[in-house]
Amino acid sequence: MGKYLLRRLNLFVATSLVLAGVLFYTTGLFPVDRITALSGIVSPSPAQVEQVTELYALNKNTPLQFSAFLQQRLSGDLGISITSQQSVSQELMARLPATLELANVAALLALVFGVPIGILASLTQHRLTQHAIMAMTLTGYSIPVFWLGLTLSLWFGVHLGWLPISGQINLLYEIEPVTGFILFDTWVSDSEYRMAAFLDALQHMILPSITLAVLPFTVVVRITRSAMLNIMNQTFIRAAEARGLSTAKIVLRHALPNALIPVLKHLGIMLGPFASYSIIVEVIFSWPGVGSWLVSGIYQRDYTVIQGGILVVALLIMLSSILIEIVHTATNPISRKELYASN
Amino acid sequence: MQLLDIRNLTIELDTPQGKVKALDRVSLTIQDGEIHGLVGESGSGRSLLARAILGIPGSNWTIKADRMMLNGRNLLEMNSQERRSIMGSEMAMIFQDPSSSLDPVISVGSQLIEAMPASTGFWWSRGKKRKRAAEKWLHKVGIKDHKKIMASFPWELSEGECQKVMIAMAVANSPKLLIADEPTASMETSTQAQIFRLLSQLNQLHGVSILLISHELETVSQWCERLTVLYAGQVMEAGPTQQLIAKPFHPYTKALLGHIPDYTETTQQKSILPTLPGSAPALQHLPIGCRLGPRCPEAKKTCVKQPILCRKKGRHFACHFPYTNETCHDSTIA
Repeated sequence: MGKYLLRRLNLFVATSLVLAGVLFYTTGLFPVDRITALSGIVSPSPAQVEQVTELYALNKNTPLQFSAFLQQRLSGDLGISITSQQSVSQELMARLPATLELANVAALLALVFGVPIGILASLTQHRLTQHAIMAMTLTGYSIPVFWLGLTLSLWFGVHLGWLPISGQINLLYEIEPVTGFILFDTWVSDSEYRMAAFLDALQHMILPSITLAVLPFTVVVRITRSAMLNIMNQTFIRAAEARGLSTAKIVLRHALPNALIPVLKHLGIMLGPFASYSIIVEVIFSWPGVGSWLVSGIYQRDYTVIQGGILVVALLIMLSSILIEIVHTATNPISRKELYASN
Repeated sequence: MQLLDIRNLTIELDTPQGKVKALDRVSLTIQDGEIHGLVGESGSGRSLLARAILGIPGSNWTIKADRMMLNGRNLLEMNSQERRSIMGSEMAMIFQDPSSSLDPVISVGSQLIEAMPASTGFWWSRGKKRKRAAEKWLHKVGIKDHKKIMASFPWELSEGECQKVMIAMAVANSPKLLIADEPTASMETSTQAQIFRLLSQLNQLHGVSILLISHELETVSQWCERLTVLYAGQVMEAGPTQQLIAKPFHPYTKALLGHIPDYTETTQQKSILPTLPGSAPALQHLPIGCRLGPRCPEAKKTCVKQPILCRKKGRHFACHFPYTNETCHDSTIA
């Protein structure tokens, strides 16, 4: 297992290096002075020019420039934003929790509703239920996410006026950011309108998280269903029946752990599309996360923000896909069978 | 006393080509405490019969029977929940591919503990008791290193070890009837012998009746007191093993016995082994009447009518032209 973890870490480092290389190359292609593209200082004074040239080794050859670039980025210096002249890494840290919160809530929704419905679809003998679930997932799978977001906000936000359609929380509430996760912050804050703020944050969460959850939800339902159908025909399920175990026990204890393995694997594959959908959703619902920040950076030709956003989003996807793979291996004894056979 | 009594069990399968009678009026009786052999080629419906007895039918099966009694209780009148409660406690089954009969993602130990009977006593000591019961049963089925086996996953064990674990799980609830569906398929000879010895020990020490399903007439005849010979879903002949081997009444049984290769004499190289002409019919193209008909050396015109199962001195046979002078007058519509 130690060897395996080391190999995964190696994979992470190698992919990050490639990512850094691509970023370094594209920075040179921006239609702006190289010093501005790297540091974000728009009209640098001679002293600043000298300092940046020194830091990024701009008067040396390309490999040395790359290593200097890498050094700067690794030390957490992403330059300053061209538009706001604030440190990019600080802006990023302020916005990252919102993105993570939205993504986690959506993933949780997809799993909590997707897995039971997938099991239901596989176990029911009732034709109508089966077809209804499959039709529902197919519809959800083929709806474009931007259209879904706009329609939901039009209906529930504008026409019916039930739910707020933009932002994380009503501006009335002043909540001290502790972690940046708004649900957590409102819950632990000690103001007298704590509960009201929490409920308000929850209401703001509903529409974006549902919009984002639809696609992974349909995928989870379909994968769970096909995995369960496959597993319920295996010999060990029949053997468990022959031992007189109840159906509930067979499903929960023997079929489900086996069926969740492919679900986990597909979640790992889904991460890329999921990230791009989350950017779209953040823009639609003005969610103050990395996605909308990145998009506004693109509109404003804020080159340092674009670099920082891409770096963080890509690193997050890589890290979580590797994490999912490690969890997959750790929780799934069968995949260890392959390790055990190869070593 | 009869433990299991089945009369005229018919299983119809719903296939795209229409309904197919995979088992045609099969009768089977198992006495209390005997090892009963069920012999037949693959595809003759042995596993279907086993699953129908146990009560785990496929989704496209239609099961009809005149009588299905287990230990004086009518299996036909029970609903699925009552059937499930009988499984494991009154009858248990072991399957032909033991390593895939165990859940691959849970350790063998926890599956074994799950199969142990619910123990009595204080709740805090129950888990320990069940674990101890599991270890005890592992020792009984001939596994010494119980710690290693219980900590491993099914795919880390050999087929023989898995089958021993399956047997331990099956007999832990002390069932009356154990259905062993080809328990030694894909095992080497020494392990096969171990498993058979284990089964016969269980039969003698714990009084478990065993329905042993196999295609190897030689091995089955060593361990079983009585045999039932099945061909293409019909019972050909049944009776005490000794008599059946010594003097088969049915052409099919005789052919089977004649086909056992004789290793004592030197057979000529590349000489053709004796077999019945033709091959076993596919389920979609079953002949009418006696299904052995087209391949039978004794077949005549009457064979297009299905012979009734005839009962003579503890032996049963279904043939119009048996190798016996005793004709069958009493037609116990069998």
